[in-house]
Amino acid sequence: MRGLPRLRWSTALLFVLALVWLYPVVWTLTGAVRPTADIYRAPWDLTWPPAIGNIGAAWERGQLGAALVNSASVTAMTVAIVLVLSIGAAYSLAKLRPPARPVLFILVLAPLIIPTEVLIVPLFSMFRGLGLINSLPGLALVNAVANVSFATLLLTGYFRTIPRDLIDAARVDGAGRLDVLLRIVIPLARPGILAVAVLVSVLTWNDFSGALVLLQDPDTFTVQLALTRFSTFYATDQGLTFAGMAIVILPPLLLFLLLQRSFIRGLTAGVLGR
Amino acid sequence: MATAQHRRRDGAIDLAFLLPTLVLLGGFLFYPLVYGIALSAHDSQGFEPTQFVGLENYVRAIFGDAVFHRSLLNTILFTGAAVVLQTGIGLFLALLVAGVRRGRTFYLVAFFAPFVLASVAVGAVWKFLYAPFFGIAATVGSALGFDTLTIAPLADADTALWAVMAAFLWRFAGFSMVVYVAAIQALPRDYYDLAVLEGASWSQRLRHITWPLLWPQTFTLVLLSTIGTLRIFDMVWIMTAGGPAHATETVATHVYTTAFRFLEVGYAQAMAMILLLVILLLTVVEYRILSPRADVASS
Repeated sequence: MRGLPRLRWSTALLFVLALVWLYPVVWTLTGAVRPTADIYRAPWDLTWPPAIGNIGAAWERGQLGAALVNSASVTAMTVAIVLVLSIGAAYSLAKLRPPARPVLFILVLAPLIIPTEVLIVPLFSMFRGLGLINSLPGLALVNAVANVSFATLLLTGYFRTIPRDLIDAARVDGAGRLDVLLRIVIPLARPGILAVAVLVSVLTWNDFSGALVLLQDPDTFTVQLALTRFSTFYATDQGLTFAGMAIVILPPLLLFLLLQRSFIRGLTAGVLGR
Repeated sequence: MATAQHRRRDGAIDLAFLLPTLVLLGGFLFYPLVYGIALSAHDSQGFEPTQFVGLENYVRAIFGDAVFHRSLLNTILFTGAAVVLQTGIGLFLALLVAGVRRGRTFYLVAFFAPFVLASVAVGAVWKFLYAPFFGIAATVGSALGFDTLTIAPLADADTALWAVMAAFLWRFAGFSMVVYVAAIQALPRDYYDLAVLEGASWSQRLRHITWPLLWPQTFTLVLLSTIGTLRIFDMVWIMTAGGPAHATETVATHVYTTAFRFLEVGYAQAMAMILLLVILLLTVVEYRILSPRADVASS
């Protein structure tokens, strides 16, 4: 069976499917640098010279600079909140003995079956009362709620794999709970924490519904809202639309390509619960 | 010696690490949930509840709103088909990927990449793919000899929902795939060696070994994608905004329109609560029926 490498039908099929899957991605990226008239040409059929001008025009007309800053700050705040909260929560659930642990576990995981989509009206109403409409920290809080549960679930799984003896030994030496968390648990769980940070940042960067409801002032728009401007105002200038999309999808795509191992492993570990 | 008092104090400190998360969820999940239940039982003016109307909003949604019926039907149809297809395609791709000897990373990245793209971009690109005359669907179709040049899948009420689903599956099948690939790689090899030795065919091995052994992953994926799909809003909103003629209206888009276009927030929230009940109900039912513990395959 394991003789010379030969092309099997399954490998050929898989390769074709992979190309089909990649087609829209490559098309978006190459479409960003082609003139509007050539948008519908095949992705590999590049126009020369590339219409680099699209990028600058999209940047300017879509006000992408400001939107990128807004998205980056919402993402940074969300990741910070989620990491601090989920590390504490996972530590407590995996390694400590809080009273009524099973109940706490259910409470912390509740957002997994109560999506923020069904609460968008009361959240909007509440945020209006609190003056948090058009507030980027406010949007970060909603994103944190949407992400903190699976982050805690994933990290609880990671923390459980840390040997008890290590922690007991440190405790005998007089280390407090916080010392153990900072000096043993966090350093040992770094791959898991990195995976959570990457996942949460991609999901927050891509958030649309939260931003759509909570941000109304164009100055506060995230990149996703800025993108919708292209389809409404510049529907005729498709080169621009593609350039805008390419700018917006590139950061998560690059992050994923760079960290794909940790990304996929973190995700599957979270889903598989180990 | 840890006395009872000590233990209680220790428990309180242990709880303190969880407290910030509980406070966040209390303020921004459980409070809005309770407020949402109250809101759904009121008439509303602007965004403020006015008069208590009990279950009137629910009665109106269930008995008097044809668009809500359509949206609920669409949501359930879409979810049912998407869960089966996403899991099926994911497993199919995973079996192929697990079988290749070289370039596994390339395939993982290729199929998973759409997952990290924003729904706004995915929706917009697929709108272009579906465009009549120029779009890929029109071009490929007519190249194959079909009369598809003027077909616009998203503008046709009969096909729009399925056109959105194709984009949805393209985006999320890779997620199911990577979960399956990780699980397949962890499967014990000796079962297969033995089965091959006894002359079991590829399909027999799939049916009697792989499928039962992967049941825990299938179970988790079905549960996750059910919850994830029932709430669908982004891609539908970008691609069709629920049209044409409500053909792709989902509960989430109908709730959004009702609340933020027509400013009927009490009524909108009643429909959102019905969606939440559907999510909870289906999750419980799936959990009961599909839970690996109840499955004999694991023995």
